[in-house]
Amino acid sequence: MKRLLLLLLCPLLFGIVSAGSVNQIVLDGSVGYRQVDIEMAFSEPSTNGTHYEIMMNDSEFSRTDESILHSIIIVGETTGLMQPEIGEWYDDCHYDPGDGVFVPIYRESDGTAVIPNGTLSVGCTLTGIPSGQEYYFAVLTIYPNNTEVLSSVIASSSTAEDELAEPLKTSPYLFAIGSISLSLIALLFGLRWLDYRDGRTSSKGAHLYIAPALLSLAVLTFYPVIYGIWLALTNADQSQLGEHVFVGIENFVTVFSTSGFLRVTGFTLLWTLVNVVSHIGLGLLLAIALNKHGLRGKTVYRTMLLLPWAIPSYITVLVWRGMFEPAGAINDLLGTDLNLLADANGARFAVIMVNIWLGIPFMMMSISGALQALPKEMYEAAEVDGIGNFSQFRHLTLPNLRSALVPLSLLGFIWTFNMFNVIYLMTDGGPNLDFDGPGSTDILITYVYDVAFRDGAYGVAAAWSVVIFAMLVVFSWTYMKRTNATEAVT
Amino acid sequence: MTRGDVLLRNVTTFILVVLFLLPGCVSPDTSIEENDTEVVSLVVWHSFATESKELAAFESQIDQFMASNPGVEVETSAIPYSEAARQFRIAAQGDEAPDLVRLSSDQLGEIGEVRVGGYPLLQDLRPHLTPLERSKFDDRALNAMRYDGDLLGIPASQDCLSLIYNPVLFDAAGIDYPSEDWTLDDMVYAASQLTQGDVYGLAMPVKNAYWWFGFQAGYGGSLFDENGTPTLDSNGSAEAMNWMIDLELTHGVVQTGTQSESMKTQFLGSKAAMVVDGPWNWATYEAGRIPLQQSILPIVDSTGERVSPLVTYKGWSVSKQSTQKEWSVRLALHLSSSDSQREFALETYTMPTHVDVYIDPEVTENSVISGFLEQLMVGTPAPTTEAMSKVYDPLVTAFENVYSGELDAATALVSADAALESDLEGSG
Repeated sequence: MKRLLLLLLCPLLFGIVSAGSVNQIVLDGSVGYRQVDIEMAFSEPSTNGTHYEIMMNDSEFSRTDESILHSIIIVGETTGLMQPEIGEWYDDCHYDPGDGVFVPIYRESDGTAVIPNGTLSVGCTLTGIPSGQEYYFAVLTIYPNNTEVLSSVIASSSTAEDELAEPLKTSPYLFAIGSISLSLIALLFGLRWLDYRDGRTSSKGAHLYIAPALLSLAVLTFYPVIYGIWLALTNADQSQLGEHVFVGIENFVTVFSTSGFLRVTGFTLLWTLVNVVSHIGLGLLLAIALNKHGLRGKTVYRTMLLLPWAIPSYITVLVWRGMFEPAGAINDLLGTDLNLLADANGARFAVIMVNIWLGIPFMMMSISGALQALPKEMYEAAEVDGIGNFSQFRHLTLPNLRSALVPLSLLGFIWTFNMFNVIYLMTDGGPNLDFDGPGSTDILITYVYDVAFRDGAYGVAAAWSVVIFAMLVVFSWTYMKRTNATEAVT
Repeated sequence: MTRGDVLLRNVTTFILVVLFLLPGCVSPDTSIEENDTEVVSLVVWHSFATESKELAAFESQIDQFMASNPGVEVETSAIPYSEAARQFRIAAQGDEAPDLVRLSSDQLGEIGEVRVGGYPLLQDLRPHLTPLERSKFDDRALNAMRYDGDLLGIPASQDCLSLIYNPVLFDAAGIDYPSEDWTLDDMVYAASQLTQGDVYGLAMPVKNAYWWFGFQAGYGGSLFDENGTPTLDSNGSAEAMNWMIDLELTHGVVQTGTQSESMKTQFLGSKAAMVVDGPWNWATYEAGRIPLQQSILPIVDSTGERVSPLVTYKGWSVSKQSTQKEWSVRLALHLSSSDSQREFALETYTMPTHVDVYIDPEVTENSVISGFLEQLMVGTPAPTTEAMSKVYDPLVTAFENVYSGELDAATALVSADAALESDLEGSG
């Protein structure tokens, strides 16, 4: 229940009551932070041309020049003036036209309060009153003939406290992280006990050694993944953070019914496949070329080919974007007036090309390392047997590189699938030719960014992330099973 | 050990003991002094560019505030303007919001609905200001700082697009300077005459919705109706879109692919005779030592209405999480005061919102400021609504479609309108 503090319900009958002047003031300081309500009754119905000036000061005063003007109410013609409802204007005022029912006051275009002729009383919420400090108020009545009457001065203070926003409660999150960590510790103890029971004494201490790594994984990986899955099942949104509730699979329905779901998934796969194939194909070609026996200036070539990798990728991407602009270097070189980034297919070509450029050096270096590990005797024997270069590549190099290419391609697939910065910096997903859906060059990860941080739909973005996660898990699992990738590495 | 050594040791010990005890004797007084003057710390986020005149003017105002309020320390941080709302939102979610932040009216619309733990991000400033304090600000500016009834900021500046031209290029081509009675046809004709070689008549991002708003209004269209319902496809909107895109694709008076940054570069390099730009870039052009003049945007031939650019307002907002709201409001009022706004206007061509500055002789005698103020008076204030903050995305798509020839302007705008309504329904 609101407290009515310092309510000065002291009806004051003035010694000398002038016609239409204020003869009663009631103040209430409990109405809101930095606000005081004033109700003033006139000795007689107000007349056109009269002004009421509400004066105030932080010390008692008896003359207007000892106080400051807070606000003005004038009596006049109200036809054509706006009459904002209570709560619509910066501060609220209402008046009693004579029937005892208060109605909102009229306002001139500059906000000056206007009451009609015949008004009996007015109530206003005075704003800008410092909180917790006693202030003195009086009403100066100025008649059309410029005679003035100052009401009695009475005091009040705004007593309502400021409403402070409470920070989000972090205890549920800490509790979840703690629970996961404790479960892991319990699991480690359990496994240690099983080892002890089965007489596996050589594992003594092993569980202790892996505990820090597992705990770090729990906090940095397991918890975010579990939280992300939970968020995908809620209506978390920027407009109601901290108040989200469980909504089941609603967000997944939104994801799969997004107009561009198939298109963005399709382009993500195209983007990934073209990039990975190009990275590995061109990287392999360059690695073989640089591995050629007797090639002069290998180090120089290697250094030059490594440059795109050595330069921060965002710089490379921005340089490429500048070159693709209509006034950029590519048009200058070709003598054309192309605006590739404004065209859907042109932009797709541009982003794929730039990412191929960026990805080749890593693959080239990785494959170079694997090539150098291949036994030279094998190639010498092949040459003695008269086997041609292509056959050597097909039957010797490729099968022996498999142990390097399979994990590299898997890694490349996952990296490229989640490659954010090239598209974000080159086109920002555009050109946007579809309303309410992903742009022409959006891939799943860039579109999720838009959903999360531009639309603020955290729950839906989490659902997209779960879908991406599921796609990558299924692909990686299938790929590893089909290629025996882990066996190949070992 | 000699007597001298013993004496030296005793003296040294005495000095050390005295030195050790002395701070203890002095410290109580110091602590009392510290307790007597409680320091209020305010954190302010602004978006003034590094080493800009705006930053210098801002820092001067902060220094003045601290000098007149000795117990207050103000720590300022710069954040990119376009990121201000997002970064503020993220900071508030982590309970790290600054006390005061500079936001534009459309950014208020962007975060007005955001709640953290059920609380809005910004303080309603209505209870903080008296009617007389409010009356010092232009009604339109003050109204633009309101979201859903709450007053979320104190307006400190306003801006809109206008026409800036290079008189030397006009003289060289023998073309009359733009005037108040210029129409869009006059503008296109002049631009075509001025387009010679690698110099273009006009620089303007023809696919940018912000530039389109003014032309849409001039052609008789509007972004929203009186109820706030989107009307992106209202009468005249498609004509305005076609007119803009034709500048590049049909008339060839705007260089292909001109964006807001390349527009600036073109004009600075005297590669464009006219630019539709705001007062925020005037100081940059002036520093580039190119001849400059400003004129009000032309009249649309078919409607007789003047191009009415969108007017946006920037102001100082107080965080709901601030524990120093009263001091924050005082600082906001100081930064929006007539003295501060006068300094900003005269030093940086930042357009004021304080009514006293409108009539300040130094301001009225400055042809640049008064020219831009004249443009502002015929501009259309941007509504501070969630819809306004969401209007750009569908319009980007509409412009892309029309520019690439995928859709005609009318169809693209109908789709954009539908997409915006759907987006608003989704968020509502």
